Amino acid sequence: MLEACIFATILCGFFGIILKKNLVMKIISMDVMSTGVIAYYVLIASRKGEALFTPIIPVENGIISHVENGAYSDPVPQAVILTAIVIGFSIQALMLVGVMKLARDHPTLESSEIEKHNTP
Amino acid sequence: MSTLTIAWIALPLFVGFSIYLFPRLDRYLALGVALASAGYASYLFVAQSTLTLPLLDSFGVTLIADEMSAFFIVTNALVTSAVIIYCWHTNKTAFFFTQMIILHGCVNAAFVCADFISLYVALEVISIAAFLLIAYPRTNRSIWVGLRYLLISNVAMLFYLMGAGLVYQANYSFAYEGLSNAPIEAIALIFLGLLSKGGIFVSGLWLPLTHSESETPVSALLSGVVVKAGVFPLMRFALMVPEVDPIVRIFGVGTAVLGVGYAVFEKDTKRMLAFHTISQLGFVLAAPEVGGFYGLTHGLVKSALFLIAGTLPSRNLKELHHKPINTSIWIALVIASFSISGFPLLSGFGAKVLTMKNLLPWQVIGMNIAALGTAISFAKFIFLPHNPQGEGNVKPSFWLAMIILIGGLILANAVYYEAYTVKNIVKPLVTIALGWLAYFLIFKRLAIKLPRMLEQFDHLIGLMSLMLLLLFGMVFA
Repeated sequence: MLEACIFATILCGFFGIILKKNLVMKIISMDVMSTGVIAYYVLIASRKGEALFTPIIPVENGIISHVENGAYSDPVPQAVILTAIVIGFSIQALMLVGVMKLARDHPTLESSEIEKHNTP
Repeated sequence: MSTLTIAWIALPLFVGFSIYLFPRLDRYLALGVALASAGYASYLFVAQSTLTLPLLDSFGVTLIADEMSAFFIVTNALVTSAVIIYCWHTNKTAFFFTQMIILHGCVNAAFVCADFISLYVALEVISIAAFLLIAYPRTNRSIWVGLRYLLISNVAMLFYLMGAGLVYQANYSFAYEGLSNAPIEAIALIFLGLLSKGGIFVSGLWLPLTHSESETPVSALLSGVVVKAGVFPLMRFALMVPEVDPIVRIFGVGTAVLGVGYAVFEKDTKRMLAFHTISQLGFVLAAPEVGGFYGLTHGLVKSALFLIAGTLPSRNLKELHHKPINTSIWIALVIASFSISGFPLLSGFGAKVLTMKNLLPWQVIGMNIAALGTAISFAKFIFLPHNPQGEGNVKPSFWLAMIILIGGLILANAVYYEAYTVKNIVKPLVTIALGWLAYFLIFKRLAIKLPRMLEQFDHLIGLMSLMLLLLFGMVFA
C-alpha cells in the first residue's frame, strides 16, 4: 500500500514535467518526483514499513536494554538520501534563478514559447 | 597509494574553492590540477595494478582505479589543460575556472568510483558545474539550454536513484557487483539514468543542442570528457556483470549508427560534431573491454575539432565553401578529421582497429556502416577550400592547445602499435575512399533537413518513459 502511494507520487511528478506548460510548474513537478524517490528510500530503510524506529540503543537507568533484533530501521539508505535531498534542493534553487532571468523576456514562462525563441 | 588517491580526488575541490580566494592565480592553479591528474594517470599506467579502496566497511562504497580508469583520467587531464590554455588570454573570470576545475574533479571521481551512490553524487555535481559553464554568457539562449540540460539530467538521475535503492534492497550494499542479483527493474532504471546522462541512443538527443549552443571551450569540455562520465559506468557494468554485456553492446551499435545517420545530413559544423559525439560513444560501448583507448582518442580529437570549429569564420558548411579558410587551420582540421576517420599514423586508427577486433560477429555490419558514415561526414571538413591568406582569427594560445591535443593523438599510437599490419592498414583506407566517393556522388548534393521534433524538451522527457519500457523488455528477454 505504502509502496503504491509512493509510485503514484513519482508518476504524478513525472507526468507533471511532461504535461505542465509553465516552467515553474515543471520544476515543482520535478520536486514532487524527487519527494517520491526520497519517500521510497525511507520505505526501503524501514524494511517494507515494518521497522520505523531510529537505530538508537535505548538506555534505561544506565543499563542498555534489550533491542529486538531487526526492529529498527536501516540507517544507510537514510544517510544516503540525505545527500540526495541536499543535491535536489540546490539544483532547484539554481533552476529557479535561471527561470527568474528568463522571466524578464518571457513573462508567461510557457516552456514552448521559450523554446521557440531560443532554439536556432 | 590509497592516500595519494584520496588526496588526488580531494585536490580539485580544494583548489577550485581556493581559486576564488586568489583570483589572480586562477589560470595557474587550474592548470596545476589538470597536470596533477595527468601525473596520477601516468602513475596508474606505470603501476599496472588495480587499486581497490573500500571507504566504508560493508556497504560497498569503494573506489577502483585500474588501467581503464587511467585512460579516461588522462583524457580528462589533457582536454582540461588544453581548454585552460585556450582560455588563457580571454577575459574569463575566476568563476569560470572554478567551475571548470570542480567539473574536472567530479569527472575524475566518476572514473574511479565503484558504487552507485558515489557515482550519483559525482554525476549530479557534474550537472551543476556544467550548467554553470553553459549559462556563463548569461544570455537568454544559454540559460535556456542550460536549464534544459539540468532538468533532463536531473529527471534521469531520479530514475537512477530509484534503481540504486532497489540494488541496495537486494544486496545491502551499493557496490556495482550487486547489479547481478538485483531485480530487473533496478537494471532498467539505472541504465535509463546512465544512458540519458551519457548521451546514448535516443535518450542522448538532448546532446546536439546543448553541445552546439555552448561556447567553444565549454563544448570542447562537454563533448571531450563530460559525457564519458555517464558512459564509463556502463562499461564497468558490462565487464563486471556478464548478464548486461549484450545490452551495452546493442546500445553501442544502435548509438553509433543513429549518430552518424544524423551527422551525414547535418549542414552546421558544431551540430555535426555533436552528433558525432553520440556516434563515437557508441564505438566506445560496442567493445567495452577496449573502450578506454577509444575514449582517449575520441576525447582528444573531439575537443580539438570543437576548438577548431570555433575559429572558423562561419558555422554553416555551405557558407564555408565560399569563404576560404586559413591553410594552417585547415591542416589542423584535416589531421583531426583523419584521426577520427581512422587513418593510419594517428591513434584514431589504432583505436578503431582494436575496437573492430573485439566486436562480436553480429555487431560487425553495424559498426562498419558507422565507420563509413564517419568518413562521409568528415569529408565535408577535409574538402573545404583554403588559402594562406584565408579568414580565421587565431590566438597563439589556440596553437598551444592544438599541440597538446594533436600531439597526444600522435603519441597515443604507442598504446597499440601492433595495429600496423598491411591488412589492418588497407581496410580503413578502403573505408575512407568509399566514404569520400559517397560524399562526392551523393551527400554533397543532397539537401535534406532532418526534423528536429525529437529534440524538443517535452519529447525528450517523453522518450525517457519509452526507453524505460524498451529497457524492461531487453532486461526481461
